[in-house]
Amino acid sequence: MKALKILLILLLLGGASAATVMYSGIVNVAADEPHSDIVYWLLEETREASIKKSAQHIKVPDLESPELLLMGGADYEYMCSSCHLKPGLEESDMSIGLYPQPPNLSISHETHQHGTDEELARQNFWVIKHGIKASGMPAWGKTHSDERIWAMVAFIKRLPTLTPEQYQVLTAID
Amino acid sequence: MKTNFIKTVGKIALILVPAITLSMNASAHDPKMHAKKAEKADCSKMDHSKMDMKDPVAVAMMKKCMKQSKSSMEKMDHSKMKEMDHSKMKGMDHSKMKGMDHSKMEKKENKKANSDDHQNH
Ligand code: HEC
Repeated sequence: MKALKILLILLLLGGASAATVMYSGIVNVAADEPHSDIVYWLLEETREASIKKSAQHIKVPDLESPELLLMGGADYEYMCSSCHLKPGLEESDMSIGLYPQPPNLSISHETHQHGTDEELARQNFWVIKHGIKASGMPAWGKTHSDERIWAMVAFIKRLPTLTPEQYQVLTAID
Repeated sequence: MKTNFIKTVGKIALILVPAITLSMNASAHDPKMHAKKAEKADCSKMDHSKMDMKDPVAVAMMKKCMKQSKSSMEKMDHSKMKEMDHSKMKGMDHSKMKGMDHSKMEKKENKKANSDDHQNH
């Protein structure tokens, strides 16, 4: 009985302090004001774990076909390059102004990339299809077929190796 | 009551944040960027002698450029082109296209290298 009472009081206290923090307005939601290190770490770990778990059973198709590169290239240029940049474009209003910042997908992140090519491919597929909450990364699966999303995964895989000229040809309209 | 309100606010935020960021897509400040969105492929800088035709990127570029030149040819009125001398079309030097296997270009997919993704690195 006593333990239950203490638990209840603690719960109430916790709820009350959470509400105080929420409604006092001291939490700054401005995108030009970075999270503290601890909050950033919490959010990042949570996101990584979520993506890893959700994506683990996705089957990765063959991503080495020229047709996929062409399909994915045109879509990438039109829908993604404003945020995720491209060869020859190192920053944009989006890449500077959004927080969390959209990663530059045109340079390779080998230093901090964990996992195999296959893991990376299925995680990218999942992120593109479902998006990431409260980050500006949209869920493209609501309006695009899996095939088109895999095409973008295939394109992103080769993107860091492309010169601006190669990128221009691959992503141009027919 | 209160939790419902909080949930609603949360949902509104979740919808508004991506919606607003997305709709700002067109506001990049370099005016060159909104000049023309849809560009034709610039195939003039392609150096065929340096292209490895086993690489999907190179094959994809060839396909794009071939398709593009085909569609612009279709718009030409061939009946008006009298005395067109094909022997003078020397722009393309096929002998310089190393490793290009035309028999493979018809196929839908290029199956190479998928058994071992790592050899590309
Ligand atoms: C409005 C800007 C915006 C657009 C447009 C956008 N993204 Fe994103 N994207 C983001 C942001 C921001 C993140 C990072 C989210 C985070 O870290 O929580 C992200 C993350 C990603 C990631 C995860 C990268 C990683 O290493 O964690 C991938 C993959 C991705 N986007 C692909 C795409 C593709 C493909 C498109 C086009 C179809 C696209 N994005 C369009 C903003 C955008």
